[in-house]
Amino acid sequence: MSSNRWVPMGAGVGLRLPHVVEIVATRPSVPWLEIHPENFLANPHATELLLEARRDYPISVHTVGVSVGSVGGIDHVHLRRVRTLVDMVDPVLVSGHLAWSTHDGEYLNDLLPLPYDEETLRLVAAHIEEVQDGLGRPYLLENPSSYLGFDTSTMGELEFLCELVRRSGCRLLCDVSNVYLSAHNMGYDPYKYIDGLPVGDVGELHLGGFTPEEDEAEPGAEILIDTHAARIAEPVWELYAHAVRRFGPKPTLIEWDNDIPSFAVLLAEARRADEVAAAARALAPEPRCAVAG
Amino acid sequence: MPSLAEMQLRIRRAVVDSDAVGIAPLLVGGRDPRRRLAIYQRHYRSSLVAAIGSKFPATAWLLGTPFLDEAARQFVRQQPPAAPCIAEYGEEFPRFLSNYPGAARLPYLYSFGELEWHLGQVAIAVDRPTPALEAFSGFEINTLMDTGLTLQAGLRYLYASWPVDDLMKLYLTDTAPAEYRLAPADVWLEVRGSRGEFRIGRLDAAEFLFRKAVLDGESIGAAGERALDANTGFDVGRAFTTLVRTGHVIGTTSRDRGGQA
Repeated sequence: MSSNRWVPMGAGVGLRLPHVVEIVATRPSVPWLEIHPENFLANPHATELLLEARRDYPISVHTVGVSVGSVGGIDHVHLRRVRTLVDMVDPVLVSGHLAWSTHDGEYLNDLLPLPYDEETLRLVAAHIEEVQDGLGRPYLLENPSSYLGFDTSTMGELEFLCELVRRSGCRLLCDVSNVYLSAHNMGYDPYKYIDGLPVGDVGELHLGGFTPEEDEAEPGAEILIDTHAARIAEPVWELYAHAVRRFGPKPTLIEWDNDIPSFAVLLAEARRADEVAAAARALAPEPRCAVAG
Repeated sequence: MPSLAEMQLRIRRAVVDSDAVGIAPLLVGGRDPRRRLAIYQRHYRSSLVAAIGSKFPATAWLLGTPFLDEAARQFVRQQPPAAPCIAEYGEEFPRFLSNYPGAARLPYLYSFGELEWHLGQVAIAVDRPTPALEAFSGFEINTLMDTGLTLQAGLRYLYASWPVDDLMKLYLTDTAPAEYRLAPADVWLEVRGSRGEFRIGRLDAAEFLFRKAVLDGESIGAAGERALDANTGFDVGRAFTTLVRTGHVIGTTSRDRGGQA
């Protein structure tokens, strides 16, 4: 249940539709690419180009529509479509979100929050097993970007994730920007959060930009919105360095999904991630490692 | 304490219907978490309205962006997506739009929106290799008439009682005059696209009925019968060879022939 392909340790870039033709035509130097399968499943032309790109780049598949937190269950029609693409692409990593998006036959086009309690834990653990079986691959789960929580929660997010890993056997995708943003919005220490994640179970890191907005309920205070529409903020780079020191070298992705800039801007962010990681580890050469299956 | 199912129902109401009464008492975060719920409400609305807008730029040109956006806001509230591939969301929008208050003065709006939707769909299709006409030389005539054809994925056949293709060409070529009078006229359109490109062509009624019937899965003979109803002089053999020679056909659905020409 694993890919035999290798993922380089250097920072990869999200491959979004506006860049697909350019990437295939120019083959820029980037160690790996990540796609959202939902953008390709309904687009045969983009899929054709993706299959060309995969000859030169390892691909990671990051789902946004596999709703592991929905009480209505996994959408198996969608999961089969993702499986078809996964089988064609043979990705080095497959991942998704700790969130829910579907309700009674509707897709709500967002990563909606979950209460952290035993009922949710059982549900999500069972769904992750379904997803891993359905895709025939290990599934990394990403920590959410949070703006609010529920007073019905009986545990914190960190405790929830650690227990989820224990029960489901899944690994974690630590979105460092989400950690920073959620800690800011919900009022906790992002460094302690990173320190609380199980080191051996973190398989990938994400970095993305956010947009500060005034918190309407608290004039003068800011709330950070996970827009993926900006460069990575300086405090997030610092937190990323801390994450690299704690987790060691991990494949890291630069995410930019809205107001998408030129590919050169994304490459520059990826290069900076490599520099920050190298400085954090104070190591010279880039090792390569197999993705644990 | 509400179950997870009950909580998700309440959140759905808050996000789609802007009814946060049920979920608000359960929220924590910041000084007023109800206001933070607006982040999800706003994202649901704005992301889907933008998705609709990106698929119907010509319709927005025709109606004005504010009108289209307001109609799209109502659409995403009344007809949320059913699946995570947002590229597939919006096929019903032209029908919704044509029934939207204020749209009655544009009786061609549905056909124009439908045409635009299909232009977007065929442009992302991929043409497949086509068999040469010689591949059919071994078919007995009766067998051939009973055979169905598989056509390129980037083909659509649309009928309209207004020349919406002319209107679309004005948009695509940015050549709209200050004033343009559109008069009713039947048009039978073939829309064909592949790998980012598309073209719109007109057919006569019989040719349209033949090709549409073939696309819909009818045998060559049955499709020919439909065309002959519209034009007793219709030449089925010529229509078939034209389809093959112009690269419309990628295979057959003949049971006898194992599905491929």
